[in-house]
Amino acid sequence: MRAPFRIIFEQRSETPRYLAAFVPLMSVLAALVAGGIFLMASGYSASETYSNMLSDGFLSSRGITDTLGLSTVLICTGLCAAFAFQMNLYNIGGEGQVYLGMLGGAWAGLALGPRLPSVIAVPTVLLIGAAAGALWIFIPAFVRARLGTSEIVSTLLLTYIAASVLNHFVYTPNSYFRAPNVTFPMGRAVSESAQLTPLGGTRMYPTFFIVVALALFLYWVVKRTEFGYRIQVISDSPRAAHYAGVNARRTTMQVMLISGALAGFGGATLIVGEFGKLDQGILLLGYGYAGIVIAALARNNFAAIIVSGILFSGLRVGGDKLQITTETPIHIGVMLQGAILLFALGGEAFRRYRIRAVRIQAVAQ
Amino acid sequence: MKKFWKLAATAAAASLIVAACGGSDSASDTTSAPVEKTDVKVAVVYIGTTEDKGWSYQHEQGILQLEQELGVEVKRVENVPEGAQSEQTFEQLAADGYQLIFATSFGYGSPMAKVAVKHPEVCMQWATGAKFLLTKAGGGEFADFDALPTNLGTYFGAAEEARYLSGIAAGKATKNGKIGYVAAFPIPEVLRGINAFTLGVRSVNAEATVQVTWTKTWFDPSLEKQASESLLDAGVDVLAQHQDTTAPGVAAQAKGAKWVGYNSDVKEAAPDAWLTAPTWNWGPFYVKTAKAVAAGTCPSEEFYGDMKGGMVTLGSFGTSVDADTQSLIEEKKAAIIDGSFAPFTGAINKQDGKAWLKAGEKAELGALLSMDFFVEGVVGSAKG
Repeated sequence: MRAPFRIIFEQRSETPRYLAAFVPLMSVLAALVAGGIFLMASGYSASETYSNMLSDGFLSSRGITDTLGLSTVLICTGLCAAFAFQMNLYNIGGEGQVYLGMLGGAWAGLALGPRLPSVIAVPTVLLIGAAAGALWIFIPAFVRARLGTSEIVSTLLLTYIAASVLNHFVYTPNSYFRAPNVTFPMGRAVSESAQLTPLGGTRMYPTFFIVVALALFLYWVVKRTEFGYRIQVISDSPRAAHYAGVNARRTTMQVMLISGALAGFGGATLIVGEFGKLDQGILLLGYGYAGIVIAALARNNFAAIIVSGILFSGLRVGGDKLQITTETPIHIGVMLQGAILLFALGGEAFRRYRIRAVRIQAVAQ
Repeated sequence: MKKFWKLAATAAAASLIVAACGGSDSASDTTSAPVEKTDVKVAVVYIGTTEDKGWSYQHEQGILQLEQELGVEVKRVENVPEGAQSEQTFEQLAADGYQLIFATSFGYGSPMAKVAVKHPEVCMQWATGAKFLLTKAGGGEFADFDALPTNLGTYFGAAEEARYLSGIAAGKATKNGKIGYVAAFPIPEVLRGINAFTLGVRSVNAEATVQVTWTKTWFDPSLEKQASESLLDAGVDVLAQHQDTTAPGVAAQAKGAKWVGYNSDVKEAAPDAWLTAPTWNWGPFYVKTAKAVAAGTCPSEEFYGDMKGGMVTLGSFGTSVDADTQSLIEEKKAAIIDGSFAPFTGAINKQDGKAWLKAGEKAELGALLSMDFFVEGVVGSAKG
């Protein structure tokens, strides 16, 4: 026998305001419920696990400062992804642009840092890091703007090359970036003037506030400037933009270069912050890839990226510490992080579509 | 309920520490708690999982021994990437009151040292570490050796002794004289192992070569497998490894090649391919260190174990290792243990044919610990 009704997805022409906030919240809640069932089925206490995750990620003073510290680079990579996504340009190579930002920042910190006072050295490192990130996306941006070549493939492939470039500079003997006279390959620490001190014994750096300001600035740019308006027009209707005389090629170049620069900036915050040198450890952390998820969670809204970046960061910090503070194995922490993201992204369907159950009989008549 | 006991035990331990520091006034308070003399909170940090049948697995065997002998429960933290982010893990462990932390990978050194400064009450032990690397001269953050935290020790051992012996088995097993070596990172520890292995190979098979492939990872089963297969495709008929898993063994067995493992005596992973493996025995060091910490001291030396002391061992022999080869290896092993033989004894040439050690000359430990070149017979680049 067939079900007496069927489910219909109707596309919404406009999303009601309440859904914009309601859906992400319900998604996280649903993920927690699903994760909780999994936890209990595996013999762990769901409430204990969640309260630990919450306290280690957000509520304890160490937890929240660790979270804000980590969110600094994650907000950057989120901005990087969102800035391109908003114009339907899929820069998924933020990971590689972070490596380049680190490389550029380390160069500035080593070559220019010793000659500059801290107030100039730190911004120089950040800006050169951003420039290096933009440089890394230049070729994908150029071929995309000129020839229409898919930036998805080119930005991703360049990430692997970026990893090799970074490895090269850390491992090659007598490399400018490598600690000299040491047989163990590792980066050379940048000059002290180019390093910030963390806030009051925490692992959070003042760069966090710069990055938050940057996100708000971009929010303003997109909503209030002619440049932002151009991006909106092109993404809504490339043809209309063309007739309106908008130079889509130029805007494509600009948007992609800025996107790359944002990831590069994130990489450079690690140079003035916790790494302080070119460090191959970055290759294992996946900050650039995380940015894609953060942008998706925030639906490319730059102000919301501050929130989703901090949320994601707290989830990661809290999840990573789970195996220290509770008996839960690492796999469960990772699974929970994944579940929350999956549900949050899946919740998008509810925002975009009206979902209704329709009686079959009514349709048959 | 479990949580309550943990809390109670922590409180008891804390009151014991307070009592120890504060004099004997409060001694009567602690008599009610059943705290043993060896009660100590120990944590261990792994780069992979304890099920890797290799590096982490072998450390886990030592930790299990510690748990059994001291009757304590050790906190395991797995899958922690090396580098600055690992500081968060050490910080949390220190804040949670762990008194002894073992960090089982090289890249944990600098973050661990930073946390050691902030938490002088915690004893930190860095496996495969070298204190020199924490000083300014070695590229680290501390002015000199005197500036290093005194609650930080390192531990490692002369795996090169067992590497040499396993090289003899490989040199006898190869039919075409081409041996492959899947290696993690071009750092002295790994180069030393490759060189010792090659010297062992060529002590019985003077024309054989050892082709090295770098994976740039300690722990990545699929990458280790890929690298192994590319070596096998290039025609090697014996594989050796400096990796954390048994993936190279599985790949070797699938192609009918032979395999020298590493870390653990895990013949069952690829029984047909298995020759032997340089293995580790970390248990005695873990037990000794935990006892010292329980007694209120923190060993801050740079411990370097060897075959004589039992930290470095050689695994069991596979069925294809004949009796003659076995007795030859046993003979050399006895000579290493009684001190009459060392793998790095001249005459040894470097990869380019230039002389390194004169006949009869023995390499010094310092030269071994900072090794940055290949010896003759190795194919590949020592720069990675």
